[in-house]
Amino acid sequence: MTVGTDTREGPLAGPEALADFLRNMRVGVEAGLDPLTAAQRAAGSLPTQLREAADAIARRLQGEYSEDEWGFDEEFAEAMFPIFDFLYSVWWRVEAEGARHVPSHGRALLVSNHAGSLFPFDAGMITMALMKTHPLPRWPRFMVLDWAFALPFISSFMRRVGGIPASPHNARRVLEQDETVMVFPEGVKGTGKPFSERYRLQRFGRGGFVEVALRTGAPIVPIAVVGSEEIYPKLGESRTLARATGAPFVPLTPTFPWFGLFGLIPLPSRWRIEFCEPIHLSDHPPEAADDPRVVFDLSEEVRETIQAKLYENLVKRGSAFF
Amino acid sequence: MSGRRVVITGIASQWGAELARRLARDPALEYVAGIDTHPPSADLERTDFIEADLRSPLLSRLLPSTEADTVVHCGILWYPELGKPAGALHEINVIGTLQLLAACERTPTLERVVVRGSAAIYGCEAASPAFFTEDLARRLPLRTRFQRDISELEEYFDNFSRRHSRLTCCMLRYQPEIGPELETPLVRYLTLPVVPTQLGYDPRLQLLHADDATGALEAAVRNPVRGPVNVAPTGAISLSRLLRLARRPGVPLPHPLFGPAMERVGRRLGVGPLLGDAIRMLRYGRGIDNRRLREEVGYEPRFDAVDAVRDFAGKTDGRRLGPRLHAGALAERLAGAGR
Repeated sequence: MTVGTDTREGPLAGPEALADFLRNMRVGVEAGLDPLTAAQRAAGSLPTQLREAADAIARRLQGEYSEDEWGFDEEFAEAMFPIFDFLYSVWWRVEAEGARHVPSHGRALLVSNHAGSLFPFDAGMITMALMKTHPLPRWPRFMVLDWAFALPFISSFMRRVGGIPASPHNARRVLEQDETVMVFPEGVKGTGKPFSERYRLQRFGRGGFVEVALRTGAPIVPIAVVGSEEIYPKLGESRTLARATGAPFVPLTPTFPWFGLFGLIPLPSRWRIEFCEPIHLSDHPPEAADDPRVVFDLSEEVRETIQAKLYENLVKRGSAFF
Repeated sequence: MSGRRVVITGIASQWGAELARRLARDPALEYVAGIDTHPPSADLERTDFIEADLRSPLLSRLLPSTEADTVVHCGILWYPELGKPAGALHEINVIGTLQLLAACERTPTLERVVVRGSAAIYGCEAASPAFFTEDLARRLPLRTRFQRDISELEEYFDNFSRRHSRLTCCMLRYQPEIGPELETPLVRYLTLPVVPTQLGYDPRLQLLHADDATGALEAAVRNPVRGPVNVAPTGAISLSRLLRLARRPGVPLPHPLFGPAMERVGRRLGVGPLLGDAIRMLRYGRGIDNRRLREEVGYEPRFDAVDAVRDFAGKTDGRRLGPRLHAGALAERLAGAGR
């Protein structure tokens, strides 16, 4: 929202302005005007901010907002910003480094470790890190376990903030549109590992992300995220609940499910996010994507980079919570 | 299209009739004929009407006698006609196509076959690619009856085209259409005064503008390519935004209740049943990639996914209950008042 220099603009003008508006509107209606014209005349007494907010709300209610072919809704993502900013700045006190390694235009594949058993917040925090510390930020997209897209509410939320069902077809298409895309090659194996194995990278799938990068010519930016492992320490898992819900796994944390919904509050660990130097694959032809050896070697290279950076940042972070 | 002889099946359907009307405008075209069980409601000039049931073996004698070089199959139904059981769809779609292909085998003059099929073959899955390309059919389980039927008839069609490699066989995979004049269950569903939706789901949809539906069919008849071609608008729109643009409030229902509720509401309001495919589409959505249509067939849809809805909303605005609340005009005046 732009901040105007309107003289009437006070600290959201309070109830008086609204009362004025309603009074003027009633006068208008009693004078025989239709509600629309009355509202228009009365609106003069509204402060700019309120008028702009009303305008924005009305516009959204009419469907006049943009949404891309993936269902990403930038205005919605912006509206979520304060919540995620609170988590980023206050709750997890994230320190981010090297965001400039993410290209400010053109395609790029961001590859990160994956953790946070109950709800992985790493995609959200990487997004925040980019939006807050990148010189020319743009909204990145992220690949989400397709199971999440079968769930009510979560599916539509994920889509609106930039989530895309994890599949090589989708990754290729969105990269060809010159977007930045986050992938978590560890997948469920990363989020589902027990607390005792924290920060030990799991297998990077079958290296599908390297194939996609080779075919689209996108540079790979490895990212190391420290802090995500402590938010929901997974001490065990419930097979019964997993079978009942169809979830890949249902973790048991110190607070979940023992404290019900309170158990969903993540622990306030301290986070560090480091964006590493991009790996350009331009010396490999796109056909190299069919060579499993090249794919495996590159995948291993990215994995080792992230693993080394994880250890480095663990030392830099010091205590996990304080 | 000089000297072409075209036979259109399902001429009584809105698609068949509209195609015949457009083709008849082309003076270079030699002959147009239409096959259906009942005559088209509108008067079609220059179009011969042949009364026949696609499912009858009689077709094998009728079709060769027309000396057609192009057969356009518009006889695939997406939903049963009002009052008819859904089971009849299988007969019409699968057996009808099978008989038609048998008749095509006996037509030596034939050069091209274009089938107006359905994108339902891809299904609707949470885990599916956001935009199916033509090579991704049958990668996921076939869940609904209609999907299995389409898959079966495409298999027959594939076999047919493999055996007759000299023919150009084109399978068009259509996304559902919208248009104010269309009488389909989905259109009636979207014009309900309040539209039931599935709680917590906001599917991405691609609804094809009726003009583009006919335009793409005509383009494919004039310039058929081999194999399947997706027919869809560019882009996608979420159901929630669609309903807002159409100024129709949605009523979220828990998704297990949606199907049964729509069946009841449908029967009472004459909406017609939303079949399994539509119900799944209104939960998970479906997007298909139209690159082949644009680049190989050479048809650029005039309306993208959002414009198709805008156009539809503009033309169906009168069909509603209660007073119109012009929130937009209101907001504009509010914003303009202080300047």
